[in-house]
Amino acid sequence: LFFSPQFASSFSSETALPPNLRLPSNLVDPDRLKRPPPPEDSSLPLIRKCDAALPAHLSPVRTWVDTLESKDSEPLGLTELHPDVFAVTPRLDILHAVETWQRNYKRISHANTKVRSEVRGGGRKPWKQKGSGRARHGSIRSFPPLKLNCGVSHGPRGPNSYYYMLPMKVRVQGLKVALSSKMAQQYLHVVDSLNIPTPDSQYLLELIRNRHWGESVLLVDVSQEFPENILQATANLKTVNLIPAIGLNVHSMLKHEAVILTLDTVRFLEEKLLWHDERYTFLYPFKLPYSDFP
Amino acid sequence: FVLCFHHKMSLGLLTLRALRGAPGLCRRTPAATGGLRAASSAAPRDKRAVITESTEEYKFVERLIPPTRIPDPPKHVGAAPSGWTPPAESPPPLPYMIRRSRMHNIPVYSDLTHGNRRMTLVRKVEGDIWALEKDVREYLRQVTGKELPTQVNEVTMTLKVKGHFEQELKDWLASKGF
Repeated sequence: LFFSPQFASSFSSETALPPNLRLPSNLVDPDRLKRPPPPEDSSLPLIRKCDAALPAHLSPVRTWVDTLESKDSEPLGLTELHPDVFAVTPRLDILHAVETWQRNYKRISHANTKVRSEVRGGGRKPWKQKGSGRARHGSIRSFPPLKLNCGVSHGPRGPNSYYYMLPMKVRVQGLKVALSSKMAQQYLHVVDSLNIPTPDSQYLLELIRNRHWGESVLLVDVSQEFPENILQATANLKTVNLIPAIGLNVHSMLKHEAVILTLDTVRFLEEKLLWHDERYTFLYPFKLPYSDFP
Repeated sequence: FVLCFHHKMSLGLLTLRALRGAPGLCRRTPAATGGLRAASSAAPRDKRAVITESTEEYKFVERLIPPTRIPDPPKHVGAAPSGWTPPAESPPPLPYMIRRSRMHNIPVYSDLTHGNRRMTLVRKVEGDIWALEKDVREYLRQVTGKELPTQVNEVTMTLKVKGHFEQELKDWLASKGF
């Protein structure tokens, strides 16, 4: 079960929940957790081993490999996933930082108000400085309650950009943390490829419901060309979406409940995300050629 | 890159040929003019310049392009001349693990803030960080004789100790085999 952070502590004696806690009954779908991770002595073949070198003190994460060919089919085999990508410490602060960055770096707010010099009119002194008995003013546009259409002195000024960039390694760590969290909560599934027999949306929805994947599903493939059947099936579905592996981002992973990766996607992600752990800082931008850029 | 390189080469050849065509203009060394004259007289009826494109010389450019990955350090017998020691072959049987940095060094750093606040930071800890904190406190008590305040950050998995103990902690961790 996934405990909220305030109850998790490093002291193992305090794992019990407090007695006066009331949790909603639909917090965790019990059917989804019925499939445990593959045991050590499983009879299914190991389809893929990790390409990169593993650290000596960590062991790879094992998951089932499913198919989308039929609705109720057994898993095809097992895969090994690299622990430095799929089993990192769950840094919620990095996830929050990357998610807020994704929302705000594209934001340009167009809120604009006119200052007293920009409001039409108001060049003339309304009444003389001394002798009228009223407060002294220089223009009718300076501030209320002189006249309604006055200028705003400290309002929003023009199109304002909220652009900033997080360091590359922080964004990469955000991706790794998101993948690890999905893995730990059993929302991440590996599939051999995205080929389905029919271009029917109902088939996909029933498949997802049978396997208890969740309400919304994100299907990730390496190439930007997807099979025709899956394109047609997901075209009219709002909760099931396709994305190429280069477009994978923290916001999409948090928005969709389940994330489905193909074996090629897993290899691609491991290669790209692990390169950041053992790279030099750049001499010139990475867009220009290097001898062993991944 | 290839096209511009050969563009410059072919431009040079064209201008030299044009100069040779006009009499009295080329005053280069006899060896150069002799070689070039032989090349041009081999095909005098081919008025148009033949531009050939070859990628064989690109290997000279390729060997200059730098790599991106940090290579593994070479194998030394014992310690390297600088004092660097490689990590042990198998990780030590302790409840915690301290990984090496990307440049294969021990991740212990000293910090100086406010002009007089000295701290030592141990990063990249995995496993039971409280056991590491107990061992570090025990070891520094033996070394200095005083109880030093420490701070454990469980979120970032780092350990801070008051005072500059970078070299002592690095030697201690290296002796443990991290």
